[in-house]
Amino acid sequence: MTRGDKFLLAGLLLIALLSVAVLYGRLSFFPAKTESVQAVITAQGKLVRKIELVEGVKSSFVIRGLGGPSTVETDGARIRMLEAPCSGQICVKEGWIGHPGQTIVCIPGEILIRIEGTAAVDAVTR
Amino acid sequence: MKAAGTRRLVFLALLVAMATALHVVEGMLSIPLPIPGAKLGLANIITLLTLYLYGFRAGLKVSLMRVVLGSLIGGMFLSPGFLLALTGALFSTVVMAVLLKHTSCFSMIGISLAGAVGHNLGQLLAACLLLQSSAIFYYLPVLLIAGIPTGFITGFLLNSLIAHDKKSGILRDFLRA
Amino acid sequence: MNRKNALLFVAILLIGGLATLQYLRRSYEYKSNQFLMDTLVTITVHGKDETQLKQAVTEAYTEMHRIADLADGFPQPGTAAYNSSDVCRINQQAGKQPVRVDRDTIEMLLLAKKYNRLSDGAFDVTIGPVMELWGFGGKNPHVPPADKLREALKLVDSGNLEVNETEQTAFLRKTGMKLDLGAMAKGYATEKALQVIKKHGIQKAMIDAGGNIRVLGSNLQGKPWRIGIKDPRKSDGIVAVLPLENSSAVTSGDYYRYFEAGGKRYHHILDPRTGYPATNSMSVTAVTRDAGLADILSTVFFVLSPGNALDLARTMAGVELFLVSADGHIRHTPPLLSRLEVKPGESYRYDQGR
Repeated sequence: MTRGDKFLLAGLLLIALLSVAVLYGRLSFFPAKTESVQAVITAQGKLVRKIELVEGVKSSFVIRGLGGPSTVETDGARIRMLEAPCSGQICVKEGWIGHPGQTIVCIPGEILIRIEGTAAVDAVTR
Repeated sequence: MKAAGTRRLVFLALLVAMATALHVVEGMLSIPLPIPGAKLGLANIITLLTLYLYGFRAGLKVSLMRVVLGSLIGGMFLSPGFLLALTGALFSTVVMAVLLKHTSCFSMIGISLAGAVGHNLGQLLAACLLLQSSAIFYYLPVLLIAGIPTGFITGFLLNSLIAHDKKSGILRDFLRA
Repeated sequence: MNRKNALLFVAILLIGGLATLQYLRRSYEYKSNQFLMDTLVTITVHGKDETQLKQAVTEAYTEMHRIADLADGFPQPGTAAYNSSDVCRINQQAGKQPVRVDRDTIEMLLLAKKYNRLSDGAFDVTIGPVMELWGFGGKNPHVPPADKLREALKLVDSGNLEVNETEQTAFLRKTGMKLDLGAMAKGYATEKALQVIKKHGIQKAMIDAGGNIRVLGSNLQGKPWRIGIKDPRKSDGIVAVLPLENSSAVTSGDYYRYFEAGGKRYHHILDPRTGYPATNSMSVTAVTRDAGLADILSTVFFVLSPGNALDLARTMAGVELFLVSADGHIRHTPPLLSRLEVKPGESYRYDQGR
């Protein structure tokens, strides 16, 4: 083996180790979460917001539906409809969701919150 | 002149036959690699030998012929596995040819290491395009590491062959004409 | 061109050709949402030809709208929606005369009568007057006075629903009777929509009509569609995962559309025999080939006691049942054992194979 060979071998091993660290290590920092989950929110058929649901992050924001503004809240890997102007309040009663395939639907406001990600399920029967 | 051309043709044909045999045998070994159709690249031994003896174009010819013939025999012609093998062969041939011609600091071991890694990178890239997903780059470390021993063995075999040739001149007989 | 260049040319052609081939062979997923029948309908289709997929989905929605219009019980009299609703017209002529209706309305009513008999009255589309008293369709649902409920209950009887196939007419014999197809129209429409998609030659599709699931073929990965069954008490939970191919799963639960009064929870699935919400189960999932049937059966099984529901399901070919009873037991028909992934968690009890 020449010196060049040795350098190359060492370099390759280093790259391999580094890529192991980068690709797999990033996942093991969050052992509970091996998938990225995001909530996709549409109103009247149009995409209004996409939000990554990350552990430890809280947020709330307002979505304009047909009946007026609705407040959406996220807390870590889950999301819910906090307030809605409709009379039925079905979307608010729905509570928190967080698994890919789950949805919260506000029928009067035509607002849809859908969890997407590398889904464990394709759809949820309810 | 004519005799030299014929001799060259015969030897190239022999190299193609050997490479094809290795390719097919490799297909029979079921090494648990994460991407279906991905191979270790043992046939790189012959590609590198051809590059060493006859240069880039001959090496390219041998490796392409080997992939086509090998996949015809294995019933994989035009399948996704074939496309992976083709891309892998192209990548490794180009990488090894460049290193062989333009650098002098590597022995056969270094060159075939680079070739094996190039082979696996090429396969990964093809798989990426085929599956329309970049998620399989998670297999990069696996394939990189898998490439190191095969590349090393290939290079070691060739180094021995060339060392032997320094004494016996058997390879120079190949080229004589 | 010399031979070496020719070889290179062939190689490039080969690779380019293959890449194009793979590009053409790749599969599209087309997904679209519509608010329909008081819920959200999502249709997902997989296939090679994007225009064909879109065309099929558009037609499927049209079909669902058509069934929805026939079965809609809520429009105001005098409006166009009222006149195009078979249910409204039948209700209006109750006690007066038979009404000529659409083939699909006849089909739905015949199914309704069949499962009314099979379930000994646990399923009844003439529940309309009682539903109206509770007001689940409107803004202020409330517990109705017991005497009014008794009066309304007298009108609930599928035996007084006359369906004439040859004349294509339907008739409610007593004045005041009212049809409510809420427990079956969504499933029936879902099935019809799926048949439209199938007719277009599409092999992989899923319709999710507010949790009524109907799938065709397998999912994009070539595996059975994975359908989660919602946890009836934890909104972000799933109690089981059911792999589904060429089949339908419909769930009835006590957690959807309810109101609270006097510390008690009242939901919208009424037992036609008592006029009050059925309380035997938290959630019931019926699995069978036809989405229309699955929708009916999910209500039937929800209203019946878990034991009776499981017994009835066992006598029906191609019908499976999964339920969470009111006391938190997970039970299902035996053939599901090998297919289901049950995740009972801490809230429910699950004794395998029972």
